[in-house]
Amino acid sequence: METSLVTTVTFVLYIAGVFVLAAISHKLLSKKSFMGEYFLGSRGLGSWALAFTFAATSSSGGSFTGYPSLIYSYGWVLALWIASYMIMPACTMGVMGKRLNQVARKSGAITIPDVLRDRFESTGLALFATCTIIFFTICNLIAQFKAGALIIEETFNLPADWGYGAGLVIFAVTVVFYTAYGGFRAVVWTDVMQGIVMGIGVVILVFVVLSQVDGGLDAVNRKLLTQDPKLITSVNGAYNDLTLNAVGENKPGGLIYRHPKAPNATLELHYPSTEPDTEGFIEVVLATDSDQEVTTTGNDVKRAIEEHAVLGELLTVAFPYRNDEGVTADGPGKGATGVVGVADTKKYVFIRGDEAVFGPGRRSDGTPFHPLGMVISFFFMWAITGMGQPGTMVRLMAFRESRTLKRAILTVTVYYALIYLPMVFIFVGARTLIPELSQENSDKAMVLVSTQVVANLGFGYQILGAIFIAAPFAAVMSTVDSFLLMISSGLVRDVYQRTINPNVSDRTVKIASYATTVVVGVFVTVLALKPPDFLQRIIVFTGGGFAATFLCPIFFGIYWKGMTRQGALASMIGGFTVIVALFAPPFFGYPSKIDLFGFHPILVALLSSLMLAVVVSKLTGPSPEHLVEKYFYRKKEG
Amino acid sequence: MADTTFADRPDLEVDPVLKHSLREAKFILGVWLACFAWTCTYCYLYGYVSHEPKPGVSVVAIGELVGPLESFNRDPATALETPLDLGIPGWVFYGILLPWIACVLVSIWYCLFFFVEDDLGVDVTEAGGTPYGD
Repeated sequence: METSLVTTVTFVLYIAGVFVLAAISHKLLSKKSFMGEYFLGSRGLGSWALAFTFAATSSSGGSFTGYPSLIYSYGWVLALWIASYMIMPACTMGVMGKRLNQVARKSGAITIPDVLRDRFESTGLALFATCTIIFFTICNLIAQFKAGALIIEETFNLPADWGYGAGLVIFAVTVVFYTAYGGFRAVVWTDVMQGIVMGIGVVILVFVVLSQVDGGLDAVNRKLLTQDPKLITSVNGAYNDLTLNAVGENKPGGLIYRHPKAPNATLELHYPSTEPDTEGFIEVVLATDSDQEVTTTGNDVKRAIEEHAVLGELLTVAFPYRNDEGVTADGPGKGATGVVGVADTKKYVFIRGDEAVFGPGRRSDGTPFHPLGMVISFFFMWAITGMGQPGTMVRLMAFRESRTLKRAILTVTVYYALIYLPMVFIFVGARTLIPELSQENSDKAMVLVSTQVVANLGFGYQILGAIFIAAPFAAVMSTVDSFLLMISSGLVRDVYQRTINPNVSDRTVKIASYATTVVVGVFVTVLALKPPDFLQRIIVFTGGGFAATFLCPIFFGIYWKGMTRQGALASMIGGFTVIVALFAPPFFGYPSKIDLFGFHPILVALLSSLMLAVVVSKLTGPSPEHLVEKYFYRKKEG
Repeated sequence: MADTTFADRPDLEVDPVLKHSLREAKFILGVWLACFAWTCTYCYLYGYVSHEPKPGVSVVAIGELVGPLESFNRDPATALETPLDLGIPGWVFYGILLPWIACVLVSIWYCLFFFVEDDLGVDVTEAGGTPYGD
């Protein structure tokens, strides 16, 4: 990818802006209580700051790379995937915000482990919470550092041999410096800068993209509905297609099925394929009956490959599932469909155009993208699980007054409505504007829209395009900075000051805070040079892990006076254990996590955590009276 | 149910921030539940073409409890409607866009008329206390 001067300048200006904000924040540090200011902004966040730091922290780099990529790949079903964002701001900020802020004030809590320690008078609970936060956060930080480095490497087209390392150092130095130097307030202001720019950018992008789609979204839908099925190169392990096992080193790229669009056709095998851009694949022209219905079975294809003069020497063929159902087609004019994979349910191996207009969407391995179990799970996942993230809860402890929260909920509600649903319109429309991308390459959708659609319109739009190229970088930074502070606050505040040495001097706290942020940054940078494979498996359940561990103890802790220390501990350990157990199979070589009844593990983990909180609290209650009085009652006035 | 925890302490009352927060939390969770029920049901019935479970799920897929989707129009050639000619499929329009707009309006109403601007008190450390509880 060519890097334009505008992109470079935008990047440099953005980073310069971040440093300026860090410098201003640093000045404030010397005027206020260091610990409260450095980790919580002295509980002084205003409405805009709260709104945008909340929005930015909950959106990682994925919001501007992964999310557009998913829309481009799977189409309209992403509107359902993201649908609970309609009520997410009210849920994540409104359900616990005011009360959590008040409880934190009652004990002077600065961190989430602080809240747990004081509410339940338990050092063990706080240390378990701190360890969990550090464990999940460090794993996630490594992935975010890697993402930041890759964005720099790709954006500036750095050489492969040292580009990643250079990108990592640039990213790490930038983010660690401004986080360590400026603390919480620098992090928040950076989020505000990013949030406002992105909000304006997406709104402009909607108009720019949709004005260029010939015939509007309606035309896009019609085109998708009538297009031939997108062919899947289903190689090893495909869900519902033949598995090709190479005998020697030469192996075809996979199978491509063609409907002959003619009646009474016979099965034909072409290798190499005669179709353009499919060299190296086996082309299978399916047999049809007089109504153009496909009559080929999976066994027919298997037999044809085994009897083929060349392919018979190269391959053995296996069926991942029982495969003796007939190959089916929706009928003439709708294109071919594919080999059947499961005994009693006819399945397609093609991604058809209409699957981008209706649900559940089709992955490139033939599996459904968003089946009903996941629809239900994701409505929980964003809105309810979002309430249990320590990174967002700590922001709820930082706002100035109730009115601040009220305005922030309003702002984020409108902001999300302007960002997340319109992005579905943008990237469904973008299917007709940018070259066809495979699902594996669809991460480039945002960059291509920025460079090929927007930037071609003129200089002003080039800046907009450059902002969108920089957006994932900014989003990654806003996640990383908040995570860095969470770890250093955990170590300095929760472990050192509150557990080991309560009489530590302010000067020592200050030095320890700076040093810890830097040391954690360096540690993560070193790990990110060559991230261990198992980390990827941990990262995917970081958000769920946080929610399973923290949501119930905090929610019941602030709203239910019957919640006991033992109940909180059981709830935390139970939620954590269940989610780790359900995500564990990939660590032992199994293909995927355990989705009980098709639901995401987070639902099971949350339910377990909830039940343990209630049952154990009932068995070990009541709570100590002085705690109930402190947190649930007040002296009558007058 | 009446709160009897400190019935012998007439000098105490239930914290009003707790009462208001709990009332607001119940309202929000009620709205979430309504959105959840409407959006998931409507979109699944009118926007899905198959019941497929996740691969590897051995038990019956939850979607199959709904019954055969064939009772709804699933012919891609005729099933697509785009209300108001906006190009947005009907199932997205009625299942997601309209409830989303409704949620924005309800959230505005909630913030302006339902949310109580409570006094959250001062930080105990600013009030001269210690950061270690009392």
